[in-house]
Amino acid sequence: MIQKKICMLGTFAVGKTSLVRRFVASIYDGKYHTTVGVKTDKKVVQAGGQEVMLLLWDLQGEESAQDLRRSYLRGTAGYLLVADGTRNDTLYAALALQAKAQETVGMVPFTLLLNKADLTEQWSITERETAALEQKGWRVIQTSAKTGAGVEEAFLTLAQKMVEG
Amino acid sequence: MDTEHITEDRAQEVRDEALRTDDVAADDASMAELRSLLLGPAEAQIAETHERLTDPQRQLKEVSRVLPAAIAARTRQDQELSEALAPTVAAAINHTVRRNPQPLVDAIFPVIGPAIRRAIAAALSGMTQSLNQTLTHSVSAQGLKWRVEAWRTGKSFGEVVLLHTLLYRVEQVFLIHRETGLLLQHVVAANVAVQDADMVSSMLTAMQDFMHDSFKTPEGAQLEGVELGDRTLWVEQGPLASLAAIIQGKAPQDLRVHLQDILERIHFQFNEALRDFAGDAAPFVAAQPLLEDCLQVQFDEQKQVAAGGRKPSPLVSITGVFLVALLLLSFFVLRRAWRWDAYVESLQREPGIVVTEARKHYIFGKYVISGLRDPLARDPLALLPEAKVDPAQVVSRWQPYQALSPEFVLARAQSLLAPPPTVKLTFANGVLAATGFAPHQWIEETHRTARFIPGLAQFRDDQLLDLERIERPLLMFELSAAQLVPGQEEQLRQLTADIEHMLTVAHAMRKRVRLEITGHTDRSGPEERNLTLSQERANTIAAELTARLTNSPDLMIVPVGTAEKVREELTEADRAVNRSVTFKVVLLDAQ
Repeated sequence: MIQKKICMLGTFAVGKTSLVRRFVASIYDGKYHTTVGVKTDKKVVQAGGQEVMLLLWDLQGEESAQDLRRSYLRGTAGYLLVADGTRNDTLYAALALQAKAQETVGMVPFTLLLNKADLTEQWSITERETAALEQKGWRVIQTSAKTGAGVEEAFLTLAQKMVEG
Repeated sequence: MDTEHITEDRAQEVRDEALRTDDVAADDASMAELRSLLLGPAEAQIAETHERLTDPQRQLKEVSRVLPAAIAARTRQDQELSEALAPTVAAAINHTVRRNPQPLVDAIFPVIGPAIRRAIAAALSGMTQSLNQTLTHSVSAQGLKWRVEAWRTGKSFGEVVLLHTLLYRVEQVFLIHRETGLLLQHVVAANVAVQDADMVSSMLTAMQDFMHDSFKTPEGAQLEGVELGDRTLWVEQGPLASLAAIIQGKAPQDLRVHLQDILERIHFQFNEALRDFAGDAAPFVAAQPLLEDCLQVQFDEQKQVAAGGRKPSPLVSITGVFLVALLLLSFFVLRRAWRWDAYVESLQREPGIVVTEARKHYIFGKYVISGLRDPLARDPLALLPEAKVDPAQVVSRWQPYQALSPEFVLARAQSLLAPPPTVKLTFANGVLAATGFAPHQWIEETHRTARFIPGLAQFRDDQLLDLERIERPLLMFELSAAQLVPGQEEQLRQLTADIEHMLTVAHAMRKRVRLEITGHTDRSGPEERNLTLSQERANTIAAELTARLTNSPDLMIVPVGTAEKVREELTEADRAVNRSVTFKVVLLDAQ
């Protein structure tokens, strides 16, 4: 079985841990837990006609990209950039993190997740922003760790891209 | 692509040439034509040769084609090439190390470790040796303690030793890809509960990264181990992979060296696979035997040796000797006490002995025994060797007394009355009874003495034959003849009966008796004739008795003539008495 390391990147409280928990254990817990350092988890998925074991590194949310602990990124086969759809600034934090990640591990597959898609009325990321990123060839997926919407898709899409190389 | 370039360059050259030639006279064109006519196909070859000589790209290709063979050929020939290259190579290495040492570190990693370790191991082995000895001697009383524990818990000593000397056991070994933290291979010892190895692998890597980041450790510093309770996690880092071992107990530094060694071999064997790893751990199945080699279990042999007593330390020896001495001493003390008790018990069973006190003297450690003893009872001191008690350790105080138990009355009677061997005494209900036969005198004395024997009420001899019944009667003969005086038939019959009785008793008692038949004569007639006559008379009676007795008697004829007269011859009646035969019973084996 192929194994792949995936990192979850994003600033504070965007829902990285919740997404992992939803994906791995189908659990959602509204309470906020701060991740200290890193937490690892794993899940086996089908991608590209084979089983792939995803080792998920849920990194501690950092206030700015400068604080990103680059050593965690080492050897990652792909990453999920997570932004909180209700907090516009988190998108820009995600962009900064992406730049830093690319600088560290080079061009590896990644996907941008706009989380908390269930909170539509508080949504603060515009269509234009999303479209601009997609224009650059980014894959953007709206997710909700609370309802589970888009979560499976987000991970599987990334797995697919990683397997394709 | 290259060829395209070359053709383009070539075209450019041709164009330049053409421009230059335009300035020259037009008849040059006809010259060229002439040349081409003259040289024909060779012109192309000349151009080709020219190109080969001037085109650096072409030259590069040509040289690269022959370079390896040329180097090899020259190296075989002499050292010049090596000498020429040496400064360049040195400079190149120098440059590489300055720019990025990692590739060089990666390259020499598998060889430098063993070399360094070998040197260090040699230096340390002497030191370790003496340290081991010190350790062996300092664990001392342990063995003894374990023996007690084994005895207390009912386990075998061996089991206890193994339990205590389990130094360490490697339970799991993880081979982890350094870059990604992904698990490459994992082995587990038997009977060990396994966690999710993939997660452990990731988390271990994450943990190291976390520590690096959190404590800002210098580059190259590595997490070497984590301890929790009796479990230790050891991590060995290589450039491409790391080895993590979960160990129960205290593992020696040797094990770390072993782990390093294995990790180096993995780097050597799987170098490419590690470098190109993209998530597929399949190639690393082949590393399983190497990892299994790390699943070691070790018991502390020194402790086992110390405990087993093969090489006991002085303290162990002393304690051991002391313990053995203590055991021996208590054994002897106990045995002595048991023997004493047995002796006292045997005395209490002994007739004629009454033990009133038997104790150990606390100050002198001697045994003191006192009581009553019938003089006829067995000597208590004589019983000591039988009971294996040292007489020197015993103080005896015996008061004489007379036991009234039947066997003592009988024994006392035996001792006082000294019955002849043909008498058997029995005692019951106060009555002493004699059977067999005895001289008249003994019977008379016994009647007198028996009264004074304590515990004896009566002496009965009605079953006892008084030998007087045989020895007193005499059988009288006719004058100067060997014929019995008539009318003695009844007397002869009674005598025969008594002799018969005596012989029967003697036979029953397995005693041999002889009956002496003495012939007598009176003093009339010559002595020579008297001797013959006395012999004839005795013969007559002997024949008569032999004929009458059932038991064949041992008879002895004693002719005495007038030598042993029965009575002084004063009257005719005296003479008649002297013409007779008398009897005497002789016990042959009196002793």
